[in-house]
Amino acid sequence: MTVQQSQPQQQAPAPEQSKGPGTTPAAVRQHRRRRPWSDIVLNVWGVAVFAFLFAPIVVIILSSFNVGRLLVSWQAFGFDSFLAIASKPAIRDAVWISVQTGFIAAIVATLLGTLAGIAMARHPGKWVWWFLGLLLLVSVTPEIVDAVALLPWMVFLGQDLGLAIFNDGIVRLVVGHSLFSVAVVSYLVRARLVGQDAQLEEASADLYAKPFNTFRRVTLPLAMPAVLAGFLLSFTLSLDNTVIAAFVQVSGTTPWPVYVLSALRSGLRPEIAAVSTIMLVLTLIALGLVAYVLRRAGDSAADIARTMSGG
Amino acid sequence: MSKRSGAALAIPAWAWLLIFFVAPVAMVIWFSFGYKPGIFGTHANDVLSFDRYAEAMSPTFFATFQNTLWVGIAGTLLCLVVGLPVAYWMAVKASPARRGLLVALVMVPFWTNFLVRTIGWQVILAPEGWLSTTLQQVGLIGGPLDILYTRGAVLLGVVYNYLPLMILPLFVAFDRVGPPLREASKDLGAGKWTTFFRVTLPLARPGVVAGVLLVFIPLMGDYITATVLGGAKGNMVGQLVASQFQTAQNWALGSAMAVLLIIVIMLTVAVGALVVWLVTLPFRSRNRLVIGDAANAAPARPVTTAIAAIRSRPAPADEEVSA
Repeated sequence: MTVQQSQPQQQAPAPEQSKGPGTTPAAVRQHRRRRPWSDIVLNVWGVAVFAFLFAPIVVIILSSFNVGRLLVSWQAFGFDSFLAIASKPAIRDAVWISVQTGFIAAIVATLLGTLAGIAMARHPGKWVWWFLGLLLLVSVTPEIVDAVALLPWMVFLGQDLGLAIFNDGIVRLVVGHSLFSVAVVSYLVRARLVGQDAQLEEASADLYAKPFNTFRRVTLPLAMPAVLAGFLLSFTLSLDNTVIAAFVQVSGTTPWPVYVLSALRSGLRPEIAAVSTIMLVLTLIALGLVAYVLRRAGDSAADIARTMSGG
Repeated sequence: MSKRSGAALAIPAWAWLLIFFVAPVAMVIWFSFGYKPGIFGTHANDVLSFDRYAEAMSPTFFATFQNTLWVGIAGTLLCLVVGLPVAYWMAVKASPARRGLLVALVMVPFWTNFLVRTIGWQVILAPEGWLSTTLQQVGLIGGPLDILYTRGAVLLGVVYNYLPLMILPLFVAFDRVGPPLREASKDLGAGKWTTFFRVTLPLARPGVVAGVLLVFIPLMGDYITATVLGGAKGNMVGQLVASQFQTAQNWALGSAMAVLLIIVIMLTVAVGALVVWLVTLPFRSRNRLVIGDAANAAPARPVTTAIAAIRSRPAPADEEVSA
């Protein structure tokens, strides 16, 4: 969206600033004089919905400073829950498993998705529609279906076929978490490269670069912002995954969300809120990096929104 | 790189998804025709039948399917009603400088752990929680807040959890319409409401479709929200499927339920699309703009051409539905 900065702006910037290049100053002035009630209602509604969106997050952050025994009943302010994390190996292990899984799943998804995205953008054909259809299917299948399908499948691969690797907890989690992420990264990389001409690659080939060198020195750098965004999104998606993880996990490699799910039954303690607060901060840093990378690559707010909502 | 070797780059992803998505789902469909042999077995397929489907549709489970569909449809509509004005506000009314910040703010809950967000609501709604005590002190309610572990709490939870998935595609769609068309509509004498309903909203339709699908499909399969906020009363099919696999160890029945869930989702989307198509038919025929001689102008479809010119980049529908 282009806003003409040269436009005369005597008044303080108001929401109507978004009128764009087609607006004459007179029209803007006339618009500003009377603020229709519908705008006020919209503003109030917008702010209220944002408050709604943040209410439970604020509550969780506040609860992490609760000294009481249970999350729900507030006793006093303190940092006990943060200190308690250190003395609870089960929590530490669960978080560590989640981080490991997230990292490996993100690498797998980024690798597969980047290659597939480049292939779709640069070597189109009838197969692309089949592949997009498969990706669409992957992304619209409810997680619970993936989860109940992967559980018997892992048992089949690991025990009936004797492939011991599929009895490993981390491998199972990585497989389960990577499915959706592969689709996301493929979409992102394809969208990025489709938007850019293949001329650079052609020029590189004309200048006698070997296909591999063209790929490494031209195609990959072009796709890089999407690849990085895809990697960080995959990591976050994996950290967040509860449903598939609850089904495919093996005892001993319980990831963090599954630990929380089981804690639901035995009573939620403030430590859970404390870890959530820490992980929220980490997620925000990761997302900030994504937004920064995309913005440097020249994306607008709308482009970033599209990327973040998974394509 | 030749065309064929280039397309081979996608082979690892093909293989990965075929082995870990298509094959397992096919196996679940296969299981759904089997049965549970004895107490210790989970599934057997030597006799194939549709009996598990009949069992899954029995009155005990049918009520859950009904409830899920109710929560799914009500939740999606509420998300649309709540999210649409917000997306419009973000894309049209908020200043462009603040737009990026607003998008980022919508994303924070979207990327906060789903389970933790839902637990946040459990804390808020708890009968002994802050909200309950405050409301009692103010005198708005007589006794402790009695909403946790009801269907209302589940509905609140799913609207909360899926709202960002509605707002983001709607925002993108409204943003893409851009100010020039709204200006043109106003210059031609249309009022605020006419402009919104006859220009902005029809053009933002891909966003509405994407948002509705992005919310409805995962919502139907959701079992975390129902587990945390619903207790026994907020039963969803997802919980039923999960319990068949984890507790009852009846994989055949669980598989049949999972397959039924997918069928119900697809049927609802198809029926919903048909209903919307029929309802908007008169509006759409009224919206067609014809300039000058109707016979000459009709094939050119000026509105469509104008729209095509104004949209900066084409948006294939399949990309919108990806999350």
